[in-house]
Amino acid sequence: MNLTIVVLAALDGISYAALVFLVSVGLSLIFGVMRIVNVAHGSLYAYGAYAAATIGIAVAPISPWLTYPGLLLAAIGVGTILGGLLERFLLRLVYGRDEALQLLITFAVFMILDNLQRVIWGVQPIFAAAPLQLLPNISVLGVGYTSYQTLLLPGVAALTLIGLRYFLRHTLGGAVILAVTEDREAATAIGINPNRVFLRTFILGAILAALGGALASPTTSLLPGIGTEMIVLSFAVAATAGLGQIEGAAIAALMIGLARAFAIYTYPEFEVLVPYAIMVLVLLIRPQGLFGATRLRRI
Amino acid sequence: MMLALEQVRVSIAGVVVLRDVSFALEAGSTVALVGRNGAGKTTTVRTIMGFTAAAGRILFDGADLARTPPHERPGLGIGYAPEDRRLFSAFSVEENLLLPARVGGLGPAETKRRLERAYGVLPEMAELRARPAGSVSGGQGKMVALARALILGTKLVLLDEPFQGLAPVLAQRYAEALRRLRSQDRDITLLITESNPKLLAAISERTLTIERGEVAPGASGPALPRADPPILSR
Repeated sequence: MNLTIVVLAALDGISYAALVFLVSVGLSLIFGVMRIVNVAHGSLYAYGAYAAATIGIAVAPISPWLTYPGLLLAAIGVGTILGGLLERFLLRLVYGRDEALQLLITFAVFMILDNLQRVIWGVQPIFAAAPLQLLPNISVLGVGYTSYQTLLLPGVAALTLIGLRYFLRHTLGGAVILAVTEDREAATAIGINPNRVFLRTFILGAILAALGGALASPTTSLLPGIGTEMIVLSFAVAATAGLGQIEGAAIAALMIGLARAFAIYTYPEFEVLVPYAIMVLVLLIRPQGLFGATRLRRI
Repeated sequence: MMLALEQVRVSIAGVVVLRDVSFALEAGSTVALVGRNGAGKTTTVRTIMGFTAAAGRILFDGADLARTPPHERPGLGIGYAPEDRRLFSAFSVEENLLLPARVGGLGPAETKRRLERAYGVLPEMAELRARPAGSVSGGQGKMVALARALILGTKLVLLDEPFQGLAPVLAQRYAEALRRLRSQDRDITLLITESNPKLLAAISERTLTIERGEVAPGASGPALPRADPPILSR
């Protein structure tokens, strides 16, 4: 393996890891606080991507630069509206129920939203690359890379990680989330409304998934099923890190993103296999994930 | 009456845990609720906090608590220290004490006043304030849980088996803290559950006995004779 391949694979891996991190950290946050494995998280990614492309196509004729706030608007809109509705009217009904039931219900929601997505946006590819084309290209070892992928995506992921860490450790909103995560009843006993915390956390997680989709939308053609690949990969990242681990999700996303990219450059037939092989290996050795702690079950 | 339970009935997983429990606490009283393990002590205090679905009425300061969701009950002036402490290990001891005040929207002056009140009752907390809550011993954790309950408990404090698992020295200190609290704040109402009635003989003014989910008839009658020193008898 020569230096060129190493550098190119590293750039691709970091760019892909940034997107996977955004989605998996939302998934992990929701699981950490609400103890619910939300398969419908993949739908939020897909809707974020389609909403961003729709807004992008609408505003690009006015000014291509408007597509950037469009990405943010799509993420916040989808996360707040769709995420809020899902939590308030569906997930709230299954908190504390059997985990298999929660999984089945969120899987059913994922399938319903996937079908609805085909009704809204059709099955033809949608491509809205204006945000990608606006930023200059960077030449790395003679290969042209967009700064959107090499700088913007990792930058947004890094800012998200820093912002989440700051929010959770230095604000009242974050402290309240940590308290509910650790002990819902004890949190209630000091005046915290856990239902409100659940709603806000779910919306935050949903915005992160939709942001991942919105940022991915200029880099690829949008097709039905885009949420499937991402939710499965996000599960691999979140499980490898340990569900509920914010910083761990960043490291696991980087590990899996880089391994996948190196596989593409060296043994492309193993592209799909590599992330899941890492996950299985980690879980066999550490069932709680690389950074997860075993929890004592209260009886 | 500060607190009155009227015909409170609780079932958990089809098993009746509290059977038409009725008793009342006068403002400023210290009442022990004693009974064996599984008698329904913890369920009684958790029901007052709203953590279990219950039939019957619970009146606090004359108002029916049925209309007050669990997370709003601390705001009424009810503090609760659970048997198993349940501190937030992600925070320091002082952050555990400050979080209820921040959540309750107390101003800086009121927060400082309540913190000083808690430290006044439990002076040893001052040394622990910067320690991660997850690193304190079980006994220290009980003290922190009491201090946290005092931040919000301006009218009623519910202490669930506070002496459970405490070494004799710590039990003595805990009892002294309760005495300090009583001497500093004569209006506060304390409901303390315990398995061993002797432990609270010197602290409580009245003892209620709970057995198989029923508070014994006449339990809400006059207080047990108050024992003077020793503070705590085992």
